[in-house]
Amino acid sequence: MLLLYHSGQWRGTVNIVLKTILSRVFLAMITLLAVSMFIFWAAEVLPGDIAARVLGREATEEAKQAFRERLNLDRPVHERYLIWLSGAVRGDFGHALASQRPISEVIGPRLKNTIFLALYAFILYVPLTVFLAAVSALNRERPLDNTISLLTLIGLSLPEFVIGTLLIYIFAVNNPIFPVMANVQRAKNFWDAIRMTTLPAITLTIVMAVYSVRMLRDNLIEVLESDYVRMATLKGLPRWRVVFFHALPNALVPALNTMALNLAYLIGGVVIVEQVFVYPGLGTQLVEAVFLRDAPVIEAIALLVSLIYISANLFTDIFSILSNPRLRSG
Amino acid sequence: MSSRVSSIKIAERTARIEVSLRRLPPTMVIGGVILIVFLVIALTAQIWAPYPAAKTGTGRPFENPTSKHLFGTDQLGRDVFSRVMLGTRIVLTLSLSSTLLATILGGLLGLSSGLIGGWFDQLIMRLVDIMISIPFLVLALLIIAAAGPELSGGYLLIILAVAIVYTPRITRMARSVAIDLKTRDFVTVARARGESTLSIVWHELLPGATSVLLVEFGVRAGYAPIFIGSLGFLGFGVRPPTPEWGLMISENRSAIVSAPAALFSPGLALALLVVGLNLFTDGLARVLGRTVRPGT
Repeated sequence: MLLLYHSGQWRGTVNIVLKTILSRVFLAMITLLAVSMFIFWAAEVLPGDIAARVLGREATEEAKQAFRERLNLDRPVHERYLIWLSGAVRGDFGHALASQRPISEVIGPRLKNTIFLALYAFILYVPLTVFLAAVSALNRERPLDNTISLLTLIGLSLPEFVIGTLLIYIFAVNNPIFPVMANVQRAKNFWDAIRMTTLPAITLTIVMAVYSVRMLRDNLIEVLESDYVRMATLKGLPRWRVVFFHALPNALVPALNTMALNLAYLIGGVVIVEQVFVYPGLGTQLVEAVFLRDAPVIEAIALLVSLIYISANLFTDIFSILSNPRLRSG
Repeated sequence: MSSRVSSIKIAERTARIEVSLRRLPPTMVIGGVILIVFLVIALTAQIWAPYPAAKTGTGRPFENPTSKHLFGTDQLGRDVFSRVMLGTRIVLTLSLSSTLLATILGGLLGLSSGLIGGWFDQLIMRLVDIMISIPFLVLALLIIAAAGPELSGGYLLIILAVAIVYTPRITRMARSVAIDLKTRDFVTVARARGESTLSIVWHELLPGATSVLLVEFGVRAGYAPIFIGSLGFLGFGVRPPTPEWGLMISENRSAIVSAPAALFSPGLALALLVVGLNLFTDGLARVLGRTVRPGT
């Protein structure tokens, strides 16, 4: 990249690309800042008197006053927001109302578990999606393709909690291969954790795959009909080589963008899947916090999740700018 | 001038109706039939459901399906068949009203935002960006947490939460239609006539945006039962003993070994309703010449 830059004629292009990327990063940061304001407003300002809500109506005025002082509730809203934000930037979200423990301590292990689940699901999801889409595209309009379409349509209509419960029924109740509850906190070793996380991961994989198989299939069909793929076939390359090395990369790029947008559904999916399997992750923590009206925990998780979502969209944006010359001027 | 423009518009509209009546896509017919069945159940279940939804002890707890209890019974001995049937009205009402509210709000906001432009458009679009940047189940939970215990469990809160989550997405869609339409002659003419912004949105933009908004309504309505069921499943939906399907699935989870029908029949009803809505929308989009895009 640097070498190209100094060769002169590339300088203009690289500059435009850099400028576009930097403006996207800037925009994402502004959005995140605004989102943090919204979250703070929704969780802490809108509900009114948190002290009365947490301590109950019978609490004495002194107890409420002490509570307000501890949480800085006696200060003006903008000051409280700035205190919260400056803490959040350093990873310090304050203390949970319910357990009084520091939030980073409460959320830390939960976040690790959720990342473990998400990674596991992702490892299953990518090959499954590519395989199903390729099989569909190569057998276009034939029974196999129609079967896969029908299955994805059914999958799209089933909510996560039904898919998860169905899997529990088949693979944990009727054939006890996997545990009903996925308490990975109690796992004896890595393989035990894998065994416990398998059903939640499969549920997530199904939910993610139904969204993307169809799209990737359509992209693949389009690319398979392009001249360069026909050229590769005419050159006498084996079919699988043409599909996986020539067609797939170009079919994946447009799918990636929609996949990042669909992350919004998937994050919701994680919350529900974790709840179905009583999996100790961020999702169950969020649900618990909303039940307890534990504002600091709600804020921290909502902000974290939005950060993940915004950065995923930013990265796919940057990736598509870098990989598509037509978008570079955008 | 204005009469000629409107006569062209009328001609266009009649042409479109003729095309749509000549042949309906099969997906629309199948989806339509499913939806009609659900509508009939929603309207008439009160009359023929064997038991009231909340009546406990109609049988032993967690009974398997029998001729007396087609879907078995739940933990409190309530008849699951009656509850699923009676729940149809609740699920349909919540889903359709929240989506309708969001479509009206988002349609008006988006169309006027695109038409007016300038700082108003900027403000609305930044707000939309913020709302869309929070994954939508998390946004719904934030709204529920913000609303406080007085509203929680009520229909109003659920309708509002779903509508608030959907509105910015529909706003964005409607705005792009407005931007596309606002340079057309008939809008310029209306402006020259001195029509107010609201009148232009209503008389000039809305007819052109109807097909987009209809498809958007269908897509959102197709997801709404899952969304509302998810809230119910998490315990933030309607209050028990309301027979909302998501809540029922969560309540009957302990029946997974002894009476799985109590657990899976509301799930099946939910899936069927969503299939019906999605098929109908797919057909509708084809009739209107639009593609259904999966999106946020």
